Amino acid sequence: MKLKQSALALMLGLMFSSAQATEAKDIQSFTLKNGMKILVLEDASIPNANSYLFWKVGSRNEHPGITGISHFFEHMMFNGAKKYGPKMFDRSMEAVGGANNAYTTEDLTVYTNWFPATRLETIFDLEADRIAHLDINAKMVESERGVVMSERSTGLENSNFQTLHEELKGVAFRAHPYSWSIIGHESDIKAWTLDDLKAFHKTYYAPNNALMVVAGDVKLAEVKKLAEQYFAPIPSQPEPEAVRTVEPEQKGERRLYVQKASVSSPNILLGFHIPASSSPDYYALDLLNSILSQGNSSRLYQGLVDKELAVDVFSYLPMSFDPNLFYAMAIASPGVKAAELEAAFIAVINTVAKEGVSQDELEKAKNQKLMQFYREMETINGKADIIGTYELYFGSYQKLFDAPKEYQKVTTADIQRVAQSYLKKSNRTVAVLDSAEDKDL
Amino acid sequence: MNHVMKAPKVVALALLSSFVFALPVMADQKNNTGSFQLPAYEQLKLDNGLTVFLLPQHEVPLITMQATVRAGAVNDKVAGLAQLTSQALLLGAGGKSKAQIEQMVDFLGASLHSDGSVEGSSLRADFMAKDIEQMLAVFHQVLTQPAFDAAEFEKLKARQVAAVAQAKESPRMVIDQYFNKLVFGSHPYGNAVSGTAASLQSISRQQVKSFHQSYYQPGNTAISIVGDFKPDLMKAQLQKLFVSWKSGEAVQQPNLTAELPKAAKAKVLLVNKADAIETTFSFGGIAIKQDNPDYVGISVVNTVLGGRFTSWLNDELRVNSGLTYGAGSGFDRYSASGTFSIGSFTKTESTQAAVDLALKTYQRLWDKGIDQVTLDSAKAYVKGQFPPRFETNTALAGLLGDMYLYGFNQDYINSFQSKVDQLTVAESKRLINSYFPKDQLKFVLIGKAEAMKDIAKTYGEVTQVEITADSF
Repeated sequence: MKLKQSALALMLGLMFSSAQATEAKDIQSFTLKNGMKILVLEDASIPNANSYLFWKVGSRNEHPGITGISHFFEHMMFNGAKKYGPKMFDRSMEAVGGANNAYTTEDLTVYTNWFPATRLETIFDLEADRIAHLDINAKMVESERGVVMSERSTGLENSNFQTLHEELKGVAFRAHPYSWSIIGHESDIKAWTLDDLKAFHKTYYAPNNALMVVAGDVKLAEVKKLAEQYFAPIPSQPEPEAVRTVEPEQKGERRLYVQKASVSSPNILLGFHIPASSSPDYYALDLLNSILSQGNSSRLYQGLVDKELAVDVFSYLPMSFDPNLFYAMAIASPGVKAAELEAAFIAVINTVAKEGVSQDELEKAKNQKLMQFYREMETINGKADIIGTYELYFGSYQKLFDAPKEYQKVTTADIQRVAQSYLKKSNRTVAVLDSAEDKDL
Repeated sequence: MNHVMKAPKVVALALLSSFVFALPVMADQKNNTGSFQLPAYEQLKLDNGLTVFLLPQHEVPLITMQATVRAGAVNDKVAGLAQLTSQALLLGAGGKSKAQIEQMVDFLGASLHSDGSVEGSSLRADFMAKDIEQMLAVFHQVLTQPAFDAAEFEKLKARQVAAVAQAKESPRMVIDQYFNKLVFGSHPYGNAVSGTAASLQSISRQQVKSFHQSYYQPGNTAISIVGDFKPDLMKAQLQKLFVSWKSGEAVQQPNLTAELPKAAKAKVLLVNKADAIETTFSFGGIAIKQDNPDYVGISVVNTVLGGRFTSWLNDELRVNSGLTYGAGSGFDRYSASGTFSIGSFTKTESTQAAVDLALKTYQRLWDKGIDQVTLDSAKAYVKGQFPPRFETNTALAGLLGDMYLYGFNQDYINSFQSKVDQLTVAESKRLINSYFPKDQLKFVLIGKAEAMKDIAKTYGEVTQVEITADSF
C-alpha cells in the first residue's frame, strides 16, 4: 500500500475525477395553455422526487390592513379543498410516504413536496385540488390565526435578528411594501376577513401566476401527461396588478433602537438600499457580501471578532424583485458598548469603499461561490429550488449556469464601486438592540 | 433567513433525528416507496489503529472528510472541556497560525469545522475535489498536531463564555440541556456539553492539550471520506500521511452503565425568563440506548405520536387548537442510555392548556393505541422520507462516523426495511408498554415563572432557577 512520492504526485492528478454535475441542457420545460410553466429535471440518483410550486405573490403584494396575508394564505392552502377536505392534504401525502413544507418571502410563496417518485400522480391530484377548489373554512381560519400568532411570537422570543429585522425594515422603507415583515402586523393577523382571503386566492393562485419545478426520478413525458390532466383545466386569471410604489431615495442615515431586557450584549443590524436582483450589480454585491462575512478570513470577522469587539457577525443579500436592502449584523463581545461596536463595524465596511479589496480576496469569494453552486447541485431538492429561483429572479434558469461566468467577470474595481455606491452613510439604516431602556441621561 | 414557513424547521429536524437509520430496500406494491441502497463503501484499519471509511460519490466534484473521535462531554473533568478542545483544534497547527489556515481554507472555497457533543467529537472538511492534496495536509495537521496557540486560546474561551450567555437568550437553544441535566442529574449524560461561563473560564490550555493527548489517538478515531475521489489513491495518501500518528497511553472511557438514575418521582424545573413572551416546554424521561434492538419499530410509533406534521401531537396542539406553531416528540440515544421527550411552545397564558393537552395526547398511546391505517401510513412515511437523508457527502460522512462511534454497521441498516414491514399493531402495543416513559415524568418549563408557578406544581416537585444563572 505504500507508494513512492513521485508516483503519488502523478496519480493525484487522476484524483480530479470526472464528476457529472447537472448542466442547463438537462433541464426541460413546457408551458400549459393556461400559462403555467413547468421545468423538469430527470435525476435518478435516489428513488425520490420533489416538486416546487412558486407563486409570484409575497408580502410585496400586500397593503396595510392585510399585511401578512400571503404568509397566512400559505397556511390556509393546507386546510381543505373540494376532494381533499381539512387535514386530508397532509394525511394523504404522508400516507404514501411524502412530506411537505411551504415558505413565504417578500416576493414569493413556495410549496414544496418531497415524495417517492412512484407517487407523482398523488402530488398532482393534491395540488390541483387546492389550486382550483380551495375551501376557505371560517373555523379553520380562526384556529390558524392562533398558529400564526405562535409562529410570530416564537420567532421574536428566540431570534434577535427577527426582532431587529422587522423594526429595521419599517424604518428603511417608508413607502414600498418591503416596509413590513413577511409575517405581518399583529393587528392585521387578528383582523383580516374571509372575503380578503377569497379575493386573494382568486387573484394570485392562478396558473398563469405560477412556476412549477419537478426534479428527481421522473420522466418528462409522465410529468407532461399529469400536468395536462390535472393542471391544464384550471382557468387562467387576469394578471395581478403590478406593485406601483417605488421607494424614494434615502437622503440621510436613519436609526432605531429596540429594548429587550434579556439581551446579554448589544446587537447591531445595518441595512443599505440596493437595486433589484435583476441589476447588473447583483454579482458584484454578492461577491462583496462574501468578502465581508464568509469564513474567518473575511473582513468583518477579522475586523470585529478577531479584535474581540464582536462574538459573531454575518451579512446577507436577499434575492429580490424590487430594490431591497443589504444587511450586516454584529453581536457585541461582553462589555463592548453599542457605540463602540457600531463605529468599528462601519469603519470595516467603509474601508472597502475607500481602499477597495485585493485580487486574492476577490478570487477567494469567487471560489466560495463555485463551492456553493456545487453544494446546491448535490441534492435533487437543492436543484429544484435553485433552478426555480433563477428562473424567477433572473428571468431564466439558464442564468444559473451562466452565473460562474458572471461572477468571473467581476473586477476589484467593481467591488469598490458597488461599496461606494450602496454601502454609504446616507443610504444606511442602523438598528440597535440592547437591554437598557432608551432614555435621556 | 428571509422566509416564513408552514412548519418549524427546528422541531422537524429534531424529530427526524429519531429515524436516521431508516433504509427502505423493497416494499409491497401498496406501499411501494422505491428501493434504495446505501452506496458501497470500504472500511479499513491502518497499522496504527486508525479506522478509515471510503465512500466514493461522483455527482458533484466535492469531498467531505470527517474525523470522529470517541470523546465527548461524558469525558469532561471540567464542564465544556471536550467541546472546547474540539474548537481549539482550529487555532493553528503544523507551523501555520489560525489566520494562515483560515486564509488558505477560505481561499479554496472550502470549510473546516469542529465540534464536540455528548459522546463524540468531530473535525470536518468540505472542499472541491481538485484541492484534495492541500486539504488533506491541513486536515492531518489540525487533527494530530494542533498548536493550541496561547493567545488564540484565550480569545476562543472569551467567545465561548459569551456564547453560553447568548444561547440563553433563546429558550429553544438551551431547553434540551436543561432537560438532560434534570433527567440524568450527576451522571455524565447530564454534563453540559457547552460548559458554563465559570467552568470555561477555569479551563487551562494545558488541560486542553492533555485532553487532546488522551483521546485524539488513532485507535480512538475514524476518518470517513465521501465524495469524488479514487479509493486506491486515497488509501495510499492516507497511509502516507497518518502512518506517523502513534497511539499514546490506553484510552480511558467512563463506565456509563453505572449509576444511571432511577425515575423516582415527577420533577419540574421552572426556568424563569422574566421578559419571555411565550413558554417553551419539554417533558419525558429516560428511554432507550443506541443499540436497542426494537429501535426501528419504536421510531415508527414515535412518528405517529410526534414525528411528522399529521402526528397526534401536532394535530392536537397546532391544527385542532391553534395553541402552537409546532409540537413533536423524539428519542435521543446514547451508547448506554437515552431520553424520550415531547416538546412545544405556546403563549404564556395558554401554558397549562398546551401542557395538559400534550399529556392527554401522550396518554392515547396506552388508552387507544395505534390503529392499522395509521400504522400503515407511518410505515410508508418513514420509508419514503429516508433516501434524501443520505444524499449529501456530509450526511454520509456523518453516518459513517456514527457507525464508528456507536459500533453498528450496515447489517443493522440493512435490516431496517424488514423491521418496518414486520411491525404490527400488536407489536406496537408491546413497544409502547416497554419503552415510552409513562410515570414520574420530568418537565422543563422556560418562561415567566410568576405566571406558571401554580401550574408547575400540578406536574411534580418544582425547582425554580433563573435562566441567567450560570448553570443548567
